[in-house]
Amino acid sequence: MSIQTMLMQLLGGFGQTVIIFLLTLVISLPLGMLVYFGRASRLKPVSALVKVYISIMRGTPLMLQLLLWYFGPFYLWGANIGGYKFTAIIIGCSVNYAAYFAEIYRSGIESIPKGQYEAAQLLGYSKAQTFIHIILPQVIKIVMPSVTNEVITLVKDTSLVYSVSYVEMLAVAKQISAAQTTIFPLVAAGVFYYIFNVIVAFLMERIEKRLNYYH
Amino acid sequence: MKKMLVFALTAVMAFSMTACGAKQEAAAPAEEAVASEEEVAEEVEEEVEEVAEEAEEAEEAAELKSAVEDGIFTVGFDAEYPPYGYMDDNGEYTGFDLELAQAVCDLEGWELEKKPINWDAKDAELNAYAIDCIWNGFTMNGREDDYTFSVPYVNNSQVIVVSSESGIKTLADLEGKVVGVQQASAALDVLTDEESDMKELGDSLGEIKQFSDYNTAFTELQAGALDGLAIDIGVAKYQLNSRGEGFEMLEEALNAEEYAVGFRLGDTEMADIINADLAKLMEDGTIMKLAEKYEIADMISLE
Repeated sequence: MSIQTMLMQLLGGFGQTVIIFLLTLVISLPLGMLVYFGRASRLKPVSALVKVYISIMRGTPLMLQLLLWYFGPFYLWGANIGGYKFTAIIIGCSVNYAAYFAEIYRSGIESIPKGQYEAAQLLGYSKAQTFIHIILPQVIKIVMPSVTNEVITLVKDTSLVYSVSYVEMLAVAKQISAAQTTIFPLVAAGVFYYIFNVIVAFLMERIEKRLNYYH
Repeated sequence: MKKMLVFALTAVMAFSMTACGAKQEAAAPAEEAVASEEEVAEEVEEEVEEVAEEAEEAEEAAELKSAVEDGIFTVGFDAEYPPYGYMDDNGEYTGFDLELAQAVCDLEGWELEKKPINWDAKDAELNAYAIDCIWNGFTMNGREDDYTFSVPYVNNSQVIVVSSESGIKTLADLEGKVVGVQQASAALDVLTDEESDMKELGDSLGEIKQFSDYNTAFTELQAGALDGLAIDIGVAKYQLNSRGEGFEMLEEALNAEEYAVGFRLGDTEMADIINADLAKLMEDGTIMKLAEKYEIADMISLE
């Protein structure tokens, strides 16, 4: 196999990696906010339930969760899971990452001094207005470094989908590696991951700079 | 309170029933368990039946797919298993078994879907109807109770590959050594199964290390982390050919076994179709031509 073909194959797998990454991110970022609201809810049953959810998501390996999401419907209801793999992967990754993001949001929101809420109330802001106009802009700034961390981890965690035999970049690299009996494709895959993460880190830094208001 | 308890019980039972797939049998104990609570027993029964019906419907839907009614024949294979299934120089999945599956599909007018699977998850994939069969240098010996097999088409044996410098020449030399086998592979069964003739050899080894793919295994062998590898002879030849010097295959084989296509237990309908097609393909020379292409002509067991 020529190097060119190999890189083209890896690029194809890389496409899958990026799609899983982007979809998971687009779903889990807002979902994390929702989870946070559940966690902070004054309704005890809701917050208790969300706490259990976060604890399970963080306390078990993502690889196992993916296996359960994919094979679960069959073992529970005998459902035909022929074309369901991609959906299972996106659900599994999103639901897992939402739990982490929720905790990151919580760290940001809880770091805002109580006095700001009181001041806002005094000035006649409603609760929603306080959150959207005063709290959120500060929170986004505070949580950016932690979110960047998590996003970079997500890029690498996409490789876990091999456990349900979904072919993304690492799987392609391993397959080429097996047929050609060389580890070069694995090194090349590593370079792909690295470059992608450098780009992600660069973009996140740009966003952070953009958010550099109030200073 | 009573009602709630019974409801919870029903939910648990319904869950466990669908989970294990034993619908009818489980319905009987369910009735007994609540016999004393006459006023709610009927309710429970109804729900149990409902759940059972739903599960049956789901199963029927799944069975349709297994019979290739949609015209797509989904073959599960390990894409890191040359020469039987792997990625070729153009990035297409190919190999002796996949080309053979293609030939069968051409005969039947099916479309072949090549689905690379994680070898550890092959049973889950098959039983969950995500694939129609496992066709990938799949050893049938010792697995007869777990799958419905086609006729065997390749004579295989498990052999030991060692590094040339190791000085290991016979199976007896392996005593106390570290030997690698692929996870969930036939080689692992040969060395560890109670009924295997090679159980004694397996016990005499220093350690049996399981690995997920042959690339890491051969690198470990080369680097001295493993003393030997138990491996299918066809795969061993491919690896030795492409890796060149430095490895040797022991002359004594661990066993003699056969490859066949594995279907879900009881799926004899599919096995019969494939058997008829394999016979046809043997007769018109297609199989031998493929075997020569992949250099395994001396291993074909069909006549």
